[in-house]
Amino acid sequence: MHLLLFNIYDQVRSLGWNGAFTLLRDGVVLGSLYSLVALGYTMVYGILKLLNFAHGDVFMVGAFIGFGVLAQLGGPLAPALGLVPLLLVMFAVAMLGSGILGVVIERFAYRPLRNAPRIAPLISALGVVFFLESSVQLITNSTHSEYSTFPVFGPLFTPMFSVAGNPVTVVQVLIVLTAIGLMAALMFLVYRTKLGKAMRATSFDREAASMMGIDTDRVISATFFIGSVLAGAAGVMYGLYLSDTYFFVGFLYGLKAFTAAVVGGIGSIPGAMLGGVLVGVVESFAGGYAGGQWKDIVVFGILILFLLVRPTGLLGSHAIQKV
Amino acid sequence: MLKRIGALAVTGAVTAAIVAATLGGTASARNNAVAAASINCKKTVTIGVAYPQTGPVATLGANQWNWAKTAMKAWNKNKKNKPKIALLQGDTQLAGTTPQALQVAHQFASNSKIVAVTGPAGSQEMQDTASVWKSASLAPVSGSETRVALTRGTTGTPRETTKGYFFRTVPNDGQQGDNVAAYIHNTLKKNKVEIIDDEEAYSTGLSAQVQADLLKVNAHVTTNHVSQQDTDFSSVIDSIPSGTQVIYIPWQNATQAQQFYTQLHAHGGKEILFGSDGTDVPGTFTGNGSYVSGFPVDFSSTAVKSFAASHGGDPETFGIPSYTSVIVNATAIKTACKAGKGKTTRNAIRKDVPKVQLTTAQSLLGFPVKFLAKNAGKWQGPGDMGGTAAFGIYQIQANGSYKRVG
Repeated sequence: MHLLLFNIYDQVRSLGWNGAFTLLRDGVVLGSLYSLVALGYTMVYGILKLLNFAHGDVFMVGAFIGFGVLAQLGGPLAPALGLVPLLLVMFAVAMLGSGILGVVIERFAYRPLRNAPRIAPLISALGVVFFLESSVQLITNSTHSEYSTFPVFGPLFTPMFSVAGNPVTVVQVLIVLTAIGLMAALMFLVYRTKLGKAMRATSFDREAASMMGIDTDRVISATFFIGSVLAGAAGVMYGLYLSDTYFFVGFLYGLKAFTAAVVGGIGSIPGAMLGGVLVGVVESFAGGYAGGQWKDIVVFGILILFLLVRPTGLLGSHAIQKV
Repeated sequence: MLKRIGALAVTGAVTAAIVAATLGGTASARNNAVAAASINCKKTVTIGVAYPQTGPVATLGANQWNWAKTAMKAWNKNKKNKPKIALLQGDTQLAGTTPQALQVAHQFASNSKIVAVTGPAGSQEMQDTASVWKSASLAPVSGSETRVALTRGTTGTPRETTKGYFFRTVPNDGQQGDNVAAYIHNTLKKNKVEIIDDEEAYSTGLSAQVQADLLKVNAHVTTNHVSQQDTDFSSVIDSIPSGTQVIYIPWQNATQAQQFYTQLHAHGGKEILFGSDGTDVPGTFTGNGSYVSGFPVDFSSTAVKSFAASHGGDPETFGIPSYTSVIVNATAIKTACKAGKGKTTRNAIRKDVPKVQLTTAQSLLGFPVKFLAKNAGKWQGPGDMGGTAAFGIYQIQANGSYKRVG
């Protein structure tokens, strides 16, 4: 323990303020990705009280759809479109594809179990995880799909501005702004539209909402669609930023996004965003100061801590249980 | 009441012990019976191939399987080779834990059709399954396990497999670590090195050895770790000390190495990356100017060229020693069948494995294969290849191809 503390102290001193900034920058970018995925967890939980563990794999499928579009449009080394239209098409198709996948998952894996004991859809979710991972593994023959970030997306990696000599690249700004923009759009949808009102009503009391004439099945499908659309966007951003995707990536990212949702307060949309950024920053600092081997220990340690001490998370509220 | 509970507990424990002993004894007896069973050499015989068919390193497993199939086809095509061989897959997953490998070992051990084994892929898998193979008179010939202790004990560490029950068609980590440290210090003339392991036994062992070798020559070495599930290396890259010249990444996953390279460059890093045999995957780890210590490969061989041509230009070099392993097994089977006049046993085949000798042309490794019967040099032991077997050092070119430089 003493040695670990000494190493952390030594690393903090040797990296200095510049190091702290780069860790903060990278943590915020990583956290923005977690946030987008966490929003899906939190929305589905808010409406169905279901932990949709397959959501991490929807994110993975989104990354693969983005890559598929890139490959169809001439491949990473000779794209048929310019950078901006290419990115727009990749995002649009991946978001739409992931959204449809989310709806299909809900329709076939969860809806038939709507009135079953709560453990049943949870087990079904785990089944969907393995189904999606194994399907993608078979389709891709276990290979990694490389976005080949540099040749195609070189301009995204040029510095946009610097903070005390530390560059912040275009892609990093793009990820953070996209995450904020999508969350703002989601907030607008939930709090300022008819569908959002129906979603909130369904979340509050599904049976009562149904009796008031709300088509709750449709609302739930819409919730899955929107959450999965966000995961698809996160998948493409993940591929662009980290250069590659693989059938296994949804597992760990999904768990960390779930942690983000719990930390922020599962069911709370701003909480998912806040939790994502916090988890990303904590992970980055843990990796930078304590060493890469501590990243996951710290992140999942926080998950356990929150579940024990503050299960409602930072921005979540206590649910009143009717008896 | 307490008495009753105590009696029940004792009865339960005794019953459990009897059941466990019976089941264990049954499995052991079944393995012994299968090991002694006569094998008809007039029929096609089966070699089990234990490799990661699924899991995070399934790409490497695919290389091994593709080359194993190539070996089977090459063997069966030659009319002089009898008996003909077939392969049976066993998915060990190689995911840091070994229960799957144990399951495969038990399946192979109790399957009387399997007369020899190629694989498993990971050193830990071999160590944890050694007793199962031994009880079934099978001697796995691995095309990728590099841990020294599998063939030779070191001070304070016993040999991890029984002599005569494990062979490999790759050089070991002792040889690899010495090569890498010497190349970094003597050829690249670099003295500030960051070593990042991926937290599993193969990587930590190799890291420790290269670190020790570099410290002996007064190099400045710092260390860090990643996990095999990591895809974002930002924080690890951020914490690399300034002035670092070489980053050594002895990882099992070549894609992780490529991602690390991409992210390092995206962060403006200019350090030289140096990978190990786990990252020796042309077409996957393509970081221009990086180095890998890789399995020896005879790139001039027609078989390697023809394989690459039929696999989109990728020679899948990680799998070549698995080709060699299948040929070693098939040759041992042929010898045992000949000696037994058309009939043989697993035990006879196992005893013939160490006698197998392949020419350079047969091995595809760039040197002939002959197994050592006793310790040799600083690192090798019985089950290792002797002679000129060594790791190669390759530099990755701008087009992603590997050029041997050491």
